[in-house]
Amino acid sequence: MTIAGGWYLGLAAVLFAIGALGLLVRRNILVMFMCVELMLNAANLTFVTFARMLSDIGGQVLVFFVLVVAAAEVVVGLGIVVAIFRRRNSAVADDLHLMKG
Amino acid sequence: MDQYLPILVLIVLGLLFAALSFVGSSMLAPKKRPTAAKVAPYECGIVPDIEPPSRFPVRFYLVAMIFIIFDIEIVFLYPWAVVFHQLGTFGLVEILVFAGIVFVSFLYLVSNGALSWAPAKHLERAMPSRTSDSTIARISGNPDPLASGPPVASPDVEPAAAAASGPGQAA
Amino acid sequence: MSPSLLLGVAAATPRFRTPHIDYLSILPILIMMGGAVAIVVVSSLVRRQLRTGVGTLLAIVTSLAALGASLTQWADVADHGAKVTIAGAVAYDGFSVFIQVTVSIAMLLTVLVGDGYLRREDVGGPELYVLALLSASGAMVMGSANDLIVIFLGLEIMSIALYVLAAFNHRRTESGEAALKYFILGSFSSAIFVYGIALVYGATGSTNLPEIADYLSKNVVASNGVLLAGLALLLVGFGFKIAAVPFHMWSPDVYQGAPSPVTGFMAAVAKAGAFAALLRVFVSSFGAERADWQPIVWALAILSLVVGAVLALSQRDVKRMLAYSSINQAGFILLGVQAADGRGVAASLYYVFVYTFMIIGTFAVVTVLARTGDRGHDLSEYRGLAKRQPLLAGALAILLLAQAGVPFTTGFLAKFQVVAAAVDAHSYALAAVAMASGAIAAFFYLRVAIAMYSPAGASGDDASHEPAGAAGAGVGGEAGSAGSGSPAGSGMADPVGAAGGRGGAVGVAAPGVAMLSLQVLTDEAPSPEVAGRTVPVPALAATALGLAVAFTVVFGIVPAPIVDFAHRATLLFL
Repeated sequence: MTIAGGWYLGLAAVLFAIGALGLLVRRNILVMFMCVELMLNAANLTFVTFARMLSDIGGQVLVFFVLVVAAAEVVVGLGIVVAIFRRRNSAVADDLHLMKG
Repeated sequence: MDQYLPILVLIVLGLLFAALSFVGSSMLAPKKRPTAAKVAPYECGIVPDIEPPSRFPVRFYLVAMIFIIFDIEIVFLYPWAVVFHQLGTFGLVEILVFAGIVFVSFLYLVSNGALSWAPAKHLERAMPSRTSDSTIARISGNPDPLASGPPVASPDVEPAAAAASGPGQAA
Repeated sequence: MSPSLLLGVAAATPRFRTPHIDYLSILPILIMMGGAVAIVVVSSLVRRQLRTGVGTLLAIVTSLAALGASLTQWADVADHGAKVTIAGAVAYDGFSVFIQVTVSIAMLLTVLVGDGYLRREDVGGPELYVLALLSASGAMVMGSANDLIVIFLGLEIMSIALYVLAAFNHRRTESGEAALKYFILGSFSSAIFVYGIALVYGATGSTNLPEIADYLSKNVVASNGVLLAGLALLLVGFGFKIAAVPFHMWSPDVYQGAPSPVTGFMAAVAKAGAFAALLRVFVSSFGAERADWQPIVWALAILSLVVGAVLALSQRDVKRMLAYSSINQAGFILLGVQAADGRGVAASLYYVFVYTFMIIGTFAVVTVLARTGDRGHDLSEYRGLAKRQPLLAGALAILLLAQAGVPFTTGFLAKFQVVAAAVDAHSYALAAVAMASGAIAAFFYLRVAIAMYSPAGASGDDASHEPAGAAGAGVGGEAGSAGSGSPAGSGMADPVGAAGGRGGAVGVAAPGVAMLSLQVLTDEAPSPEVAGRTVPVPALAATALGLAVAFTVVFGIVPAPIVDFAHRATLLFL
């Protein structure tokens, strides 16, 4: 049984929306990272689906680049969180309120 | 292009779905948050007056980060390996350059001590080397600057995660 | 099948044809990245005390080499014309070369400012240069990318390095906080951007910019929701990077929290890269769809102009004020994007180029004035500066007035050109709002200038401290007008500058720089009454400041070469 591409695209859209809303709503920084990852992977799913629908392997190659970029982003993000953790024991975004205005 | 039109609808549906699930979870979730007393650590019934130090294993994050970055580079080696023969010298040179750059980052990590498992090093610096003389001096109660002074442990000098937590912080 | 990708495309086909690579077309990028790797290697091997010095040297050499390579490219493109290379992934045209020149210069100035900062703050060595070089190479990639995914890669190379740079000063809590905010919102915008690419890919069947343009010109896309959604998401992604108004929330906090030299670099390079990609994607590829995106850019521009100018008025922290001012400037540059024609693109390019000098020079002064700890950013710290260090104050006044768009500085022509482009495109309302916001913006720039030229305490002003006499040939007239605090300025018929003309411009600049750096240096000697209040100005930072001021004034008086440069870059635009 084959499933129409539209369903995959729909799934990707749902994942993306969950990631975006989660990023805006959640306050734990590590959860926010996960939401970013979810968004990037939704984009990956969209790429692969379109590549399949268009019979163009180029779209699948793009996924490689997005994957690597996502990994680099996570590493840097974790590094920043670790640096902040060591100053204060909190991973809650609302605690970061030194600057306002 | 009509075939793609439903996608916009799906995006809207996706947004609605995600919004609904957040609304739903906030409605269904237990309203009563645990009180401050409930989440406080139990100390024989005494109200703790200082925040208990939470354990935050920087080391694990560091290793995980380094692992991720070296791990994900392999992604590029697989497609390269598939067409290795057809790429010829050009491909070989390119992949060597790629590997060289990754190796340089490894070099940097080593030179900053990110891969040396640090506690032993710090303990060594914190505690004066113990010799039989120092032990005798301590037992006999002589004022020995090395033994009686406050511990000189440097406060939490972790060898820094290379890029992230402020470079020059390395031990 | 898209021929746009470097690798993997041919996995299915038996014969693999490696793309021809024109190394000259990516030479500045390779130099930047190679320099970064070289600095990592060398600094891993030399002793800790030497690292900063060696790093500075290597970074300066790298920046100069990249600048030289970019200028070589310029000659090559002018002779042999523009082309697309590396399997369609890279565009090699006047536009890309222009961005590479801009970024190289920004990098050079940042290194000069950064050296003094690193020595003063003692926060680690050459990693600042490594990250800045990588970030600059990312901006260059954005400038020459001819494929959406290459733009994405450039964007990420630039941004990821910038996230770390924002966290660079680990002694300041604000620094880490700024980095985290920047990271969260930056990665959010990247994810939106890449999803936009995915949708555009689905709608047009390619990520290659010329192929997209080709597809859009051949197919009538009536009511294509996917394409429009993709366009909107791409615009949101770019909006975050250039800090246009609904997407500007990160920028004041990040500007305030990041180390001062990094802030200047961020303002110059991130804007240059993001605007380059924005112009190339929207004006050239989605030109056929301009009826759809022009109104959005129009709204972004108006919001940025108004909100940036109004919120800057209430800031007491100078870095924060500059953040809002840079939002305002982004609004001005968006005028050129909104015009979406050759003139608009040329105006935007010119704006980005001269803004690089202005903003890095401004942040050079901010860096120097902040003292150890990078804290003294309150407006009160600037009070009476002209009395204590007249040259520093004069330089800052010139740069601020240039940002306000005072005539006879590069800033005036920049603003004039984008507004003219908007008028040409019949966006009269936009042009009117831009001019109004320029007037509001002049107020907060002048506020800093007036603070500097007002007495710090109860000491009488004496005329001998007026900077006019001291600053030397090229800078004299402008500094004088700054000194009197009047934006209209004295009669700007600076005899040397006018007579020198185009050829003499460099000649005027050189002694000006020498004089300026010399004077700033001699300023260090504390006079008895203000002992301890003067700040030391490192020689390299003074050089960067001198270059920025000299450029702003000289090419403000003799604008032709730079205007011509931007114009020809547009002509050689693919």
